[in-house]
Order: sequence, then C-alpha cells, then structure tokens
Amino acid sequence: MSARSRRVLALAATSTLVLGLTAACGSSGSDSAGGKVTLRYGIWDAVQKPALQKSIDAFEKAHPNITVKIELNAWAQYWSKLQTQMAGRTAPDVFWDHVGYFPQFAKQGVLTDLSPYIKADKVDLSVYDPKLTAGWKQGDKQYGLPKDWDTIEQVYNKTMLKTAGLTQDDLSGLTWNPDDGGTFVKALQKLTVDKSGKHPNESGFDSKNVKQYGLALASPNGQTDWWDFATQNGCKLQDKAWGKWTINQPSCVEAIQFVQDLRLKYHVAVPAAVTNTPNGAALPAVLARKQAAVVWDGSWDLSAYQTSLKGNFGVALLPSGPAGQGTVYNGLSNALYAGSKHPKEAWELVKWLGSEQSEKIITAAGTVWPSIPTLNKDFVAYWEKQGVDVSAFSKGAEGTTIGYPLTTSSATYNVKVLDPFNQVWLGQQTPKKAADTVNTESNAAITD
Amino acid sequence: MSANISGRRVADIERAPDSSVTTAPVRTASPVVGPPPRRRLRQTLEAYALLTPSLLGFVLFLVAPIIGVVVISFFDWNLMGSPRFVGLANYREMTGDSEVWRSVRNTLYYVALNIPAQTVLALLLALAMNRGLRGGKVLRVLFVLPWMAMPVALGIIWSWAFDPEHGAVNQFLSLLGVSGPEWLSSTTWAMPVLASINVWQYTGYTMLFLLAGLQAIPESLYEAADIDGVTGLQRFFRITLPLLRPSMLFVLVTNVIGSFQMFDTVYVMTQGGPNGSTDTMNFHIYQQAFQLFRTGYASALAMLLFALILLVTAVQFLYFRKRTVYDFS
Repeated sequence: MSARSRRVLALAATSTLVLGLTAACGSSGSDSAGGKVTLRYGIWDAVQKPALQKSIDAFEKAHPNITVKIELNAWAQYWSKLQTQMAGRTAPDVFWDHVGYFPQFAKQGVLTDLSPYIKADKVDLSVYDPKLTAGWKQGDKQYGLPKDWDTIEQVYNKTMLKTAGLTQDDLSGLTWNPDDGGTFVKALQKLTVDKSGKHPNESGFDSKNVKQYGLALASPNGQTDWWDFATQNGCKLQDKAWGKWTINQPSCVEAIQFVQDLRLKYHVAVPAAVTNTPNGAALPAVLARKQAAVVWDGSWDLSAYQTSLKGNFGVALLPSGPAGQGTVYNGLSNALYAGSKHPKEAWELVKWLGSEQSEKIITAAGTVWPSIPTLNKDFVAYWEKQGVDVSAFSKGAEGTTIGYPLTTSSATYNVKVLDPFNQVWLGQQTPKKAADTVNTESNAAITD
Repeated sequence: MSANISGRRVADIERAPDSSVTTAPVRTASPVVGPPPRRRLRQTLEAYALLTPSLLGFVLFLVAPIIGVVVISFFDWNLMGSPRFVGLANYREMTGDSEVWRSVRNTLYYVALNIPAQTVLALLLALAMNRGLRGGKVLRVLFVLPWMAMPVALGIIWSWAFDPEHGAVNQFLSLLGVSGPEWLSSTTWAMPVLASINVWQYTGYTMLFLLAGLQAIPESLYEAADIDGVTGLQRFFRITLPLLRPSMLFVLVTNVIGSFQMFDTVYVMTQGGPNGSTDTMNFHIYQQAFQLFRTGYASALAMLLFALILLVTAVQFLYFRKRTVYDFS
C-alpha cells in the first residue's frame, strides 16, 4: 500500500469515526453497560439542586448499579427544551412536571402511568396531601408522584416594616376593596415614602420621586400577583377544571384593575417599568435594596430571600379581599418519561424521590414544602433556625385556595398573557381589553 | 493578520458565485499538462476523500435541516404527537395573521435602524484607523471586543443599563438634567434601544473588513490622483468609495442577513414586547415553534423569512454587480 492510499484510507476512517460519534451524540444519552444504568433527571430550579443532589447521593448508594445525572435548565428554557427532546425521543428519564403542562403531556402519551408500579410495589399514596395526588391523576391513571407544594404570601423586609411602626400581625390582618383600597392600601401608604419624606396620602407627595414603595409585584403569568387578588375577589379564572378560561368576568377584571390602581392611582407599588417581565428586577433584589418593603412571592423562593437578606425578612399572610382570603396553591411532581429506555430503574428513582426519607433530606434544607404533610414541621423548624417564621404559607394553604388552572392551553396562555398585562400595569391598556384578548386567545387554543 | 491578505480573501468570497466552487480545489491540484488517467483518478478520489468530512457536515447540519423545514411547513406538528399533513394551510393562515405582518414590519424597521448607522460608523472608524493612528492596534482590539462577547450576557448587562430607575443610562441623563424615558417599556424606544446595542456590538467587526478593504487600495492610485489635482472629498468619493465596493458588498450582505435574523437581544431584553413592538420575525418564529409548539406554522414563517432575505440579497448583488471591480492593477 502506497503512502498516499494509506493517507486516503486514514482520512476515510477518520470521517467515518467523526460521523459515528455525532450519531452517538444524537441518540439517547442513557446507556447501560454491564448492568450499569445512567438515568437523567430534568429540573429547572438551581436553588433546589444542592438538596436534591444529597437525596440522589443517598439513592445511588442504595442502588449501586444506577447513576443519576441531574440536568438543570432554567424555567424560561425548560419546556422548550423538554418538548424538543421529546420530539427526538431523548427527554430525561425522570423530570419535574408542572400542572400547567401536565394535561398536554398526558394527552400526548409522553408520561408513564405509574399506577401499575404503585400497585406492584404497594406504595402508600395516602401519605401525600390528597389534593396533590389528585392533581396528577387523569381517570384512574396516575402520571407522577407529588414532589412538593407552594402558596403565595407576603414577604417583607423586617427593618422597613419596623421603621414604619408595623408588625407582622398588622401585615397579616389587612383587607382591601376596589373602592378605597381598605386597610391594605393604608398600610402600604405608610410604607411608601417620597424623596422629601412624604407619604402618598399626604398633600405635596411627589409620585415621580419615590424613595421607597410599600409593595412590589411581578409575575409573568399572574400566579404571584393578580391571580391572588382575583381569588380574594371571587374570580375563578376557569368555569371548571378542564373548562374555559373566564378571566374577563367582572370579578376578575375588578381585581386586575385594583392591581393597576396600586401602581397608578395609589402610587404604593413599584412602577411596572421596573418590575415587568422579562427585564424586570428580581423581587428578592427589590426587597434587599429597599426599593419596596413588601413583595408577593411563592414559598419556593425563600432561599433566594435568605441569600439576599440573611434572615432580615419575614412572611405575612396575604390580605383579605371582598370575597375573603385566597392564595394560589400549587405543587410539582416527578414524572416518568414514557420513552425512557430504563423504566424500571426510573421508577425506582421516582419512588425514592416521593419517599419520606428523600423528602426529609430536601425539607431539612428548607428548599420547598414537602408533599407529605407530616414533614411540614421539619420545614418550619429549618426556617425558625434562620429566624424566619414561614407559617403564613401553610396557613394560606389551609384557607381558601385556587389551584393552577387545569387546561390544555397553558402554553398559549403563558405566551399571550405577558404583553397585554405588561401594558395594563404600565397604564397603556385597560384591564377589560387585556382580559378579553387573553381570554379569547387562550380559549381558542384549548384542545380536547 | 495581514490586512492585504484578508482583503484578497474578501474578494475571493465574492468572486465565488461566478466561478464554480466545487471544481476549484481539483483545478489547483492539477498541473497544466494532465497526469496519466490512473493518477488522475487517484487524485480525484483523494480530493473527494478530503472533501467528505466537510461535505457530510454541510449536508447533515445544513441541507437536511433546510429540507426538513420545507417539509414540516406542510404539516401541523406540536413536536410530541405525530405530524398531520395540512397542505398549504400554514401558508394560508400566514397571509391573514396580523402578528406575522407586524413582525415583518418590525424586522424591516430594525434593519433600517441598524444597517446605515452601523455601516457609516464602521467606515468612519476604518478611515481613521487607516491613517495609522498611534495606539491604533489597541483601539482596533477594543472596538472588536463587543463582537466577541456573548450576546446573551450583553443583553442582560444592557437591561440593567436601561433600567429606568437604577440604570446607568438614565442616571447619566439625569446628571445632564434630562429625565430619561422608560426605555424598554416604551413602544417608541424599545426597538431603537435594541438596534443601538447591535450597532455598538458589530461596528468594530464591520470596521475590520472595511479597513482591510481600504488597505488593499493601491497607493499609486492616490498618487496619480494627486498629480491630477484631485483632493479631499473628491478623493474619497471618486477613489476610496468605489474601490471599497467589494468589501462593502460583503459587509452589507452579511450584516443585512444577520439583522434579518436578529434574535438573542430580543429574547433576553424584551421577549417581543412592549405591545409587540420588538417582535421580530426570528423571535416570532421561535415563539411559535418552541413556546406555542406550532412547529409547522413556524416552519412556514421561516420560509417567509428565507424568501425575504433571498430577495433583499439578490437586490444587493444586482446593484453591486455592475459597479464593482475586483482587480485594482
């Protein structure tokens, strides 16, 4: 063989190899060699990863033949990536599922029905909050084990509250109404100060030069702002589970109007130009730099407040509206991908993540409230040690709650709601018009 | 990098459409008098062996996906379920979709804001650099730095800079006694803000090509002009600008295509808002495909974007074809 033809051969061999490698990358990342299995676990919250890794370490110890790789993708990209992976049949074996996307997934057959596994392994579902278990059910099929729960409450800066002469109890006992704002607006007026020290209810208050606001609200979809006000005003978001969106009903529009009023009429909430998604400031940062004294946020964000405020924050109940108290109650699940090449091992992981031992590890780190109610006290204990009383979240969960809307049109709603509502908060669009537009477009996207 | 060499490279790239690209390597490999047939066969085989990796990459990662997009544009597909053939329905829907035409208008507006500013600024910078300023090399690197930075990271930093209350831009303006607008919440300002960030990011890069072009213009032409008594602006408009056309064509074609495809800054800074004022075609395609999971419709929109870019690029080539010389000798 001449030197030249050897070179040609070598080249051909190299190109084949390169091709082979790319092909290998294209196929599923899961592999099993010599009985060893690698599972991929998809999550979106970096804050929860360290505690989760601890639980995974314990799982791997108990299952020496299984390795678990956590794949973290931020919420903003998580669903795009997951759905694209499903198209390529390369989604993670186990992944976090959200009520907003679960219905579409269940319909498309990309989730594994866990009930045969549950039956075979005699897993006791009664340890979970029944509300959570039911949320992941369709007919007699169980499409995931509950992972956690969350509610929305008021997180406040301790120093700022104290300076205004208010206590956590004061903040927890407020009421609002669409006519004059009620005690809620009065408290926020106390917490709002302009550059010359005047409050919004005093003459000479300069709304263009506000030093600190009472409240900051931000939400890409409504969960941490107007959905809660809407619930306190008797608005239901949907006519029934799996039904039509009803966000243009008078009780909903009135609540949306009130949120706009907090910014533009009462001047007690941080302007929308600062908080609107996607370039808005993060709420923990707003609270830490004293731009606002109170924010509304979900329990899943507690660790972020701890990072920026080091225990100098507390949690109070949301106010009561004309229809009483109310908060959005939601939770995630661990789902098993129907295209997993190792369903048996993946089920072992799902089962472990839903077990009391695993949830204990995660709860003890204070990341999220556990789906097993008997462990709630561990979560409270963790935060007591940090000097933060988090009981408002569980009190909220025991009161009137609204679940995350159950519908196949969540993706459409999430895309369509952003722009019009941002415009409402800026005062560029009326609440009624925004609600009508989003309602129509979201209902048009419902599939059955 | 020698500017002269890169100047020729630019010219080569532009000449490519006229000559046949695929035969070029073979042609340069063969001597004038052809080798015996067996050797020639071997040489051809060797050439193909060398071409195979890049050709495979080209087919696998460019041709195949493009064909894929064409095919998918005739289907209704949410990525998870099985695709359903719908014929021309996606294209029909497109014609009546006001959001699509808004995204076309937004894209054209962005290109119109972006290209003239970027080209003129880059040309001025290149002319200044061509004078051989002291410290010019350092400046050149500084101007190109934004182009090397990650667009997403830049988008986040610029979002902070344009924050209405705590942002550097409005704080600076307030020093001058001007109360700055709420940049990214304003339907008037959001797009100009995005365009100016892009200009800032790519002007240095564009300047590099124009500078290379300037340095490829033979000094003798200017000397001849001096003898003829041509001075100042006339030198620029009669000699510099016409002989810069090869570089101009390259810069304009690639920058216009790049502007039509702008995505990252919108994605990070505005998500198409406020009120749809920065919803460019590429962002709209992304949103349809990966947020609403309407892959078929998004593919049809991608075809529309492709057609638009093709049209604009063809016009540019036609304009420059008759007016460009590549041989300065």
